[in-house]
Amino acid sequence: MLGLAGCSGDYSMLDPSGPAARDIAWVWWGMLAFFTLVFVVVVGLWLAAFRRREHRERSEREVRRLSRRWIIGGGLLLPGMTILVLLVFGVPVGQRMLTLPLPGGEEPRVIEVIGHQWWWEVRYPDTGDGEVITANQLVMPAGEPVDFHVSAADVIHAFWIPQLGGKIDMLPGRVNRLRLQADDPGVFGGQCVEFCGTQHAHMKLYVEAMTPADFDTWLSARQAPADMGEDQQHQVAREAFTQHCARCHRVAGVSRGNTGPDLSDVGSRATLGAGVLAMEDGAITRWLVAHQRLKPGNLMPVHDHLDAETLEGLGAWLETLSP
Amino acid sequence: MSDTQVPGHHAQDKTAQLHRELEAVWRNPHGWRALTVVNHSTLGLRFMGTGLAFFLIGGVLAMLIRAQLALPSQAFMTPEIYNQVTTMHGTVMMFLFAIPVLEGLAIYLIPKMLGTRDLLCPRLTAFGYWCYLFGGIILLSSMALEMAPDSGWFMYTPLSSGEYSPGKGSDFWLLGITFVEISALSAGVELTVSILRTRADGMALHRMPLFAWYILVMALMIVVGFPPLIFGSVLLELERATGMPFFIVEQGGDPILWQHLFWLFGHPEVYIIFLPAAGIVSTLLPVFARRPIVGYGWAVAAVIITGFISFGLWVHHMFTVGIPHLAQAFFSAASMLVAVPTAIQVFVWLATLWLGRPRMSLPMLWILGFLVIFVCGGLTGVMLALVPFDWQVHDTHFVVAHMHYVLVGGMFFPLMAGLVYWLPLVSGRMPSERLGRLGFWLTFLGFNLTFLIMHWTGLLGMPRRVYTYDSTMGWDIYNLISSVGGFMLSAGIAVVLLDLALHWRYGRPAPPNPWEADTLEWALAMPPAPYNFASLPTIKSRHPLWHNPALGDEMARGEHALADASHGRREILGGEVLTGRVRERIHLPTNSWWPLFAALVLAVVCIGLLVRLYPLALGAFLVAVVMLLRWAWENGGHPVAAPLGDEEGDELPLHSRTQGGPARYTMGVSLIADGAFFHSLLFGWFYLWSVSPQWRLPEQSPLDPMLLIGAGIAFALGMLWLERRLRRLYAGNETRLALAFYLIAAFGGLHVLLLGVLLWQADLAPTDNAHDAILLVSLSYLLAHGLLATVLMVLQGRRAALGYVSTRLPMEPGVVALFWRYQLGIYAVLAVSLGVLPRVIGGGA
Repeated sequence: MLGLAGCSGDYSMLDPSGPAARDIAWVWWGMLAFFTLVFVVVVGLWLAAFRRREHRERSEREVRRLSRRWIIGGGLLLPGMTILVLLVFGVPVGQRMLTLPLPGGEEPRVIEVIGHQWWWEVRYPDTGDGEVITANQLVMPAGEPVDFHVSAADVIHAFWIPQLGGKIDMLPGRVNRLRLQADDPGVFGGQCVEFCGTQHAHMKLYVEAMTPADFDTWLSARQAPADMGEDQQHQVAREAFTQHCARCHRVAGVSRGNTGPDLSDVGSRATLGAGVLAMEDGAITRWLVAHQRLKPGNLMPVHDHLDAETLEGLGAWLETLSP
Repeated sequence: MSDTQVPGHHAQDKTAQLHRELEAVWRNPHGWRALTVVNHSTLGLRFMGTGLAFFLIGGVLAMLIRAQLALPSQAFMTPEIYNQVTTMHGTVMMFLFAIPVLEGLAIYLIPKMLGTRDLLCPRLTAFGYWCYLFGGIILLSSMALEMAPDSGWFMYTPLSSGEYSPGKGSDFWLLGITFVEISALSAGVELTVSILRTRADGMALHRMPLFAWYILVMALMIVVGFPPLIFGSVLLELERATGMPFFIVEQGGDPILWQHLFWLFGHPEVYIIFLPAAGIVSTLLPVFARRPIVGYGWAVAAVIITGFISFGLWVHHMFTVGIPHLAQAFFSAASMLVAVPTAIQVFVWLATLWLGRPRMSLPMLWILGFLVIFVCGGLTGVMLALVPFDWQVHDTHFVVAHMHYVLVGGMFFPLMAGLVYWLPLVSGRMPSERLGRLGFWLTFLGFNLTFLIMHWTGLLGMPRRVYTYDSTMGWDIYNLISSVGGFMLSAGIAVVLLDLALHWRYGRPAPPNPWEADTLEWALAMPPAPYNFASLPTIKSRHPLWHNPALGDEMARGEHALADASHGRREILGGEVLTGRVRERIHLPTNSWWPLFAALVLAVVCIGLLVRLYPLALGAFLVAVVMLLRWAWENGGHPVAAPLGDEEGDELPLHSRTQGGPARYTMGVSLIADGAFFHSLLFGWFYLWSVSPQWRLPEQSPLDPMLLIGAGIAFALGMLWLERRLRRLYAGNETRLALAFYLIAAFGGLHVLLLGVLLWQADLAPTDNAHDAILLVSLSYLLAHGLLATVLMVLQGRRAALGYVSTRLPMEPGVVALFWRYQLGIYAVLAVSLGVLPRVIGGGA
């Protein structure tokens, strides 16, 4: 039904692209190997007990000795040692994702992510003069740790980029912190993993890691004041936007709505509707016409009262919003 | 126990006469009056039958889920419907199938295994059943009305709260589930007390069948584990109905409080489901290994330890919530530790097989299936307890797979083993070996096909509860395999059910004790008589039927205790908790309409709350209270319950002639449940106070200290007087007892009055902020208990005046005194927590 070619990025935690995810993947493979062994041995012993045909009479003392050996060996020592090993190797792995002070004393970059039903608000604080807000895309520098400060605007969501590391819940009224790092520039999948209502399934986050230099360029391009006055071509669409869309959507320099996703750089994004539609020519218009069919139950009202021409105009203008 | 020497048909006549008398006393009525039945066998089967029906509904929902996810981007169900289906699948399977079916099994088996005739509170059994049935019907009716709950089976706030779930779905869930939980609590209380106090003579705790140990621990876990969810449900329903902001951050509440309360219940619940199933394994396995279980003591210790640890694990469902890391490390280690008692049991079973002479049979096949699946699920459980790994796979299909391995492997497979094993007892016929094997293999392979691959789907990043996924995600083939496996699993279950249905007609008649088992239920007729045993045995061994294979015949011939029903009473024996030595005869109430009527009126309360007709709900609630009191009226020393005979032997008194007897235990265990509710309340108060981000303690406590202290003094004086009168009553002095009870009740009334004024003067704004809301709930709780204590005392006065309480019938006031002590305790704790601490630590913060 949906052409999602643009929704690239992998969601597999077994294909890690960052140190935290890599450590956890190793822990998984280690546990899998060891527990497979345990499983085979335990089940094997049970089956062997059935197959055994040597049943001599045993004295009460012998029985007690044998059973104690089984129970202490298998019931106490086996799980006891396993737990010890797991905790010793496993717990430090989680340290990477805690927002502890870095050894060099420098402060990692902070990106704020806020969950909404059913989209992502991404904010870049402390970026000089211009406030940078975007939606459903997360651009981050590669090769350095980034601290994510996450929260939620309505219900509980969860923030997860499987290839980079673990998840953390996004709670209304609280800020949770998580540190992730991407090894190299690349595109990853992120998604909401706490059931958040009707369209929980379509709450994807497009994550792109860039070299720090590219990232700075990306950021400063969005800090520059938008120049809206010159293009007369989209004057009508802008007015329609102000009339019909501005109360919910923000476009830097045009409107300040904050109920729906920020659209200031929507033309430069890879997907629409939090991963429902790949961004290509005409995609925004298609979304405007059919969004309740593409993502049933989403909170944007239908636009049946607007004629096709207006919607097309809006779509065409919004596609130009790309710094 | 007489006349065994008389040879020939005279003895047979006596036996037939005995059975006729017992039959007359214990028989179930037919027609409409079948609704009044309180017999544990009948009700156990009703529980299981109803549970099976709900299981099939839950199974159909599961098939809908697998149909939707079989292919990417399917439009088979809309997201709204899909979310209702997943929510209801989890809810039905957990609350309407798993727990009630196991309760039903316990209700059916426990008295038989303990060598007695019924559970201690037969009317409570019936009441529990009706609450279960009506609660289940109310919950399921939401699907028919297309307003089923859709916030997931653990109903996280704020998604489930008024703002984000404005429909009635959440209300159906909260009210229906609370109703069903009343049933679980009833079963929990009466199973606990029955196991402790009604075992056969000489069945000391260390001679008790392992199954009873498992059920005892399960019952106690229900008693302690369910109240937190009931409390949470009350809060959430109050928030939805009246706007008290318990879970709303801006007004001082906290949505995480719901998660704590839910998982405080939810994690123990997993073990509440697993332990009885493990009990089935521990019962069957030695029978098929043809030797006593190895390491009985180890197994008992493991079960008890599991029960304790399981209350310290709940936070592992919340590792991603962002709680402090030290706490996470603690709960991580605790969660892994629970593997130790579980591993002990696995190796106890292994050692038993190893040292025995195991034979293969259909029940054993299901147990092997259990082992394979459960060990796998246990191992992934240990993985999940590791915090960093949990951060990756939490809320993905990996967890869905793990959970089904643990629950289906840990509960459903042993349940099937038990079903096949105990079927001959119920029907007198053997199930088909061939059809049974086919059913097993289809179920086993179908299950693993569905869920083994699902671990992988989760590792590839598929979140749980998504109604669809896109083909580019790379999850297609795995989901298709899971769906195919799911339908195979269903086919397997269908074959099992077919076998079940056919066996009633075509099954081979079962020989006595068909599996050569050791426990007392196999000494019964198949199917058992409503009174189970014609006479009650004295137990000298942990394996009575291996010790004395003729025991069944001896009991049927009336050669053991209580072989007399000419008095027309339903009688069982009450024993010492530890030794099982007989202490008293217990007279049980007989068939009654009250349980059904009380449950019906409670259903009206539920519906009144659902449709927001609060006057109706309140009126029905009052009627229900009156009914319950009326029900309790014909009890204890009441002549209907315990007519004073002219000549009563002293050697074994009737329980109403003792100073408390089993009723004290029932009250005690009920108060443990109540105390667990109270603990949840305190937890809520201190949690919101210390953790909630926008909590505000007022500068000045709204509670008037003089009134608070006055209420306490009034109640304490009444309590002191009550204790004094009790001592005098036990010493044989009953002068002006009724008057004393009335005056004691007056002190209770003063206590209630002062509390009422305190609440009135506090002028709380409960819909405005969480502080006032939780204060109101706490004080209402105290007030309601005070009121009940007072009413019970008034009734004691009346009963003393009527002669139901006297030096010869001293049982009741001691039981009521327990409730009074409880009230004094909660008053003291609340006075300190709500009155003193905020003043000491200071407000305004």
